[in-house]
Amino acid sequence: MNPTNHFRVVIIGAGPAGIGAAIALSKHGIKSIALIERSDKIGGVPSLYKKKKGGVRTFIRWSRGGIPVFGEEYVNSLKRKLVKTDVKVWLQTQVIEIETKERKLSIINPIEGKMSLTADAVIMACGSREKTMSERGWLTGARPIRVFFTKQLLQLIDGNDLLPMRNPVIIGSDLIGYAAAAKLKVAGAGDAIIMDKRRRPKCSYVERLYFRRWSQPNFRGVDVKAVEVVGSKTASGIRLSKDGDFIPCDGIVVCGELVPNSELALLGQLKVELPSRKPVVGRNYQMSESGWFSAGNMLGGFRGAEWCYYNGRRVARAVVNYLSQPL
Amino acid sequence: MKTQGKLLYNWPEDGFDESLKFNDSSQLGNAPYDVAIIGAGIVGCALAYKLSMYKLKILLLDKNYDVGEATSKGSSAIIHTGFDAPVDSIESTLVTKASREWPELAKKLKIPFEECGALLIAINDEQKKQLKNIYDKAIKNGVTDIQLLDPKQLREIEPKITDEALGGILIPRESIVDPFSASIAYSEIALSNGVDIIFGTEIIGIENANENVKKLVTRSGIKINTNIIVNVAGLGSEKLAKLYNGESFDTNPRRGQFLVFDKYSRMNINHILLPVPTNETKGVLVIPTIFGNLMAGPTAEDFLHGDNSITDTTIEKLQSLLDEASKLYPGLKKQPVISTFAGVRCNCSQGSYWIRCHDGHPGIMTVAGIRSTGITSSPTLAEYLVEELSNKCGLNLEINTNATDSRPKSSWPGWWKRPFANGELFKKCPDYGMVVCYCEQISRGEIIDHLDSQLKPVTLDAIKRRTRAQMGRCQGFDCQINIAEIISEHSDIPLNKITKRGPGSELIPDTKTMKNEGMDESNKSF
Repeated sequence: MNPTNHFRVVIIGAGPAGIGAAIALSKHGIKSIALIERSDKIGGVPSLYKKKKGGVRTFIRWSRGGIPVFGEEYVNSLKRKLVKTDVKVWLQTQVIEIETKERKLSIINPIEGKMSLTADAVIMACGSREKTMSERGWLTGARPIRVFFTKQLLQLIDGNDLLPMRNPVIIGSDLIGYAAAAKLKVAGAGDAIIMDKRRRPKCSYVERLYFRRWSQPNFRGVDVKAVEVVGSKTASGIRLSKDGDFIPCDGIVVCGELVPNSELALLGQLKVELPSRKPVVGRNYQMSESGWFSAGNMLGGFRGAEWCYYNGRRVARAVVNYLSQPL
Repeated sequence: MKTQGKLLYNWPEDGFDESLKFNDSSQLGNAPYDVAIIGAGIVGCALAYKLSMYKLKILLLDKNYDVGEATSKGSSAIIHTGFDAPVDSIESTLVTKASREWPELAKKLKIPFEECGALLIAINDEQKKQLKNIYDKAIKNGVTDIQLLDPKQLREIEPKITDEALGGILIPRESIVDPFSASIAYSEIALSNGVDIIFGTEIIGIENANENVKKLVTRSGIKINTNIIVNVAGLGSEKLAKLYNGESFDTNPRRGQFLVFDKYSRMNINHILLPVPTNETKGVLVIPTIFGNLMAGPTAEDFLHGDNSITDTTIEKLQSLLDEASKLYPGLKKQPVISTFAGVRCNCSQGSYWIRCHDGHPGIMTVAGIRSTGITSSPTLAEYLVEELSNKCGLNLEINTNATDSRPKSSWPGWWKRPFANGELFKKCPDYGMVVCYCEQISRGEIIDHLDSQLKPVTLDAIKRRTRAQMGRCQGFDCQINIAEIISEHSDIPLNKITKRGPGSELIPDTKTMKNEGMDESNKSF
């Protein structure tokens, strides 16, 4: 094995949790840290919330009494900390295989092609994604275009200055849903209808109050077994199967309800709860195999970037303890 | 000398490669076509493939913007042995014969094919009694390589099936295939043998139907000359047959919903699991896919022809699918569902495999009622149709020695190939190292290979079926927009004009982009 391909710690995922872990490990004096990111920039989900005049500040730091900032601004503050360390950052790099016993990872990227790395410890900070229509269990009907996830909405609105709908229906009433409604309104769409299978929105009153500055979406709690997406080519509405009520729209956003990105763990046969996809972690964030850790939103739940960053630091401390133990 | 056929798209919008646009019949040359095949589903593509072996001028056209875009895309992807088909029907003859041709055919088409085998499982005494009958029927159908199993043998073969299994039958040659690549491969070979393909072209009229040279009238008013017309338009065949006063028949579509489970689920089950069929239905199957997932399905719901909701899913049926499939493999309820879809069987009230020559007028052939067995029977059905065309419609079959019946090895970008693992390929094209679809691990290089392939795809769904990008567990969460951007960049179509399946299904409504004022461009990431 080429010695340059061995690292003390490899971190998979350069979102807030991965960056938090990298910075903390570096501060604890760990040399040779690799931070692997599959997209072309670091920062994970917050990096998609671009800074725009009149745009919606997402409250990354809000819960800790700080000021709401744009996701991108928050990521930039993390970057400033990260560049001071000697952490090796690999962008556009995907881990395709892992061997848990040997702590060996096969990766590919456009610069080196396929190669393998080994590590004394690995932190999986792979983040989460939004549940698909099918995974939610109450969205059926047609499968037209313009049924987006929030991530895609951000890529279109913030990334490409394109407005994918003017008359939106948002499925999912948590924080992300209300943020999406505000984002759409600022970009030129009308107030959204936010729909969820519950009586009251999941998003707290205070958080909803915050977003009223930009948009006043209508919440519609549905008490039916399922609703149907309507539209042969593009999304044209939602039909409530119970009373046949029809809510017209020209686009649907499927928001929130996060699922951990634990497929790599599954691939390496690390223990993962199904169907929730939460990795099984013990004390100190250890996964089912020695030397493998998990951090951030990959642990499951619904957490903001700031929480993930601090969680990454906590996991880093656990890794430092692990590395200091005699084998 | 071999000449490549033309690929044209009738694309009403701007922002589309002019050299691919179908504007005028002069693009197709002066001579009339020998055969025009209407409908580029699996049967139409297979027929074009078989006819392309002869010195003929062939046209394959479809109103959609890719091959296999309608009925053919929603199937169980099983290559049936025909063990349970009605004895002595044309369907059973063609299916049984085709099932023996498929292993060789898949090698020619260069598409993934797996003889995974099927287990028919009886879970109560009544069903157990029927096993012998099913066994005997299979033998009558010529499927002799099957085996009656006791519960112990069943569990040795497939340890995770239900404890209630009382017996079963192993049908070793029941197989699975990549259903999307099948239509694509057929039509790619046809194209390279000189068949012209036009997408986005609906036929709304037929002139001079009684004469030798007939005129197909497209929705945009272009007239195409042809000697023979073959109507293999699936759900559209009834409407099309009315244009030439063909014998009347009733399309009676039957919906089949499916649940798709995440990869890793296939680690548990390797065979197709079949329940004992009842008089009404074949029941709910557990089906491994060639892509590494499991599926449960299908339902059987009859629809009125023309109902738009025919490809919708419904919660009641999906839940009952899960319950039914769990009777065969109880662990299924713990597996995450990644997608659901509904396919359509093009049933015909007048009978299965309803084939008419000189239908209404000489030189017109109607093919209807190909139900759910089209993908299996496609090679033998196409051959049968070629014979009928030759015997009854006077089509002159002269072998074209330049024609090929295989896809060349070099031009088959496919999702199952892992170009990044090949150091030499990677050196030539670093894009193979840039993974775009994380779930299925498909690189930018592979997507571009497909965009440059002969049967050039232009829609998101066409790319999805060729590469599997967007078909994994996140269903495009991570990659849909990135893929749209790659198509946009590479094919020179503006991002807002990228469509899911052709004009009318644009990613972004109208052409207006958002106002650019106040955008802060200074903050680029590192």
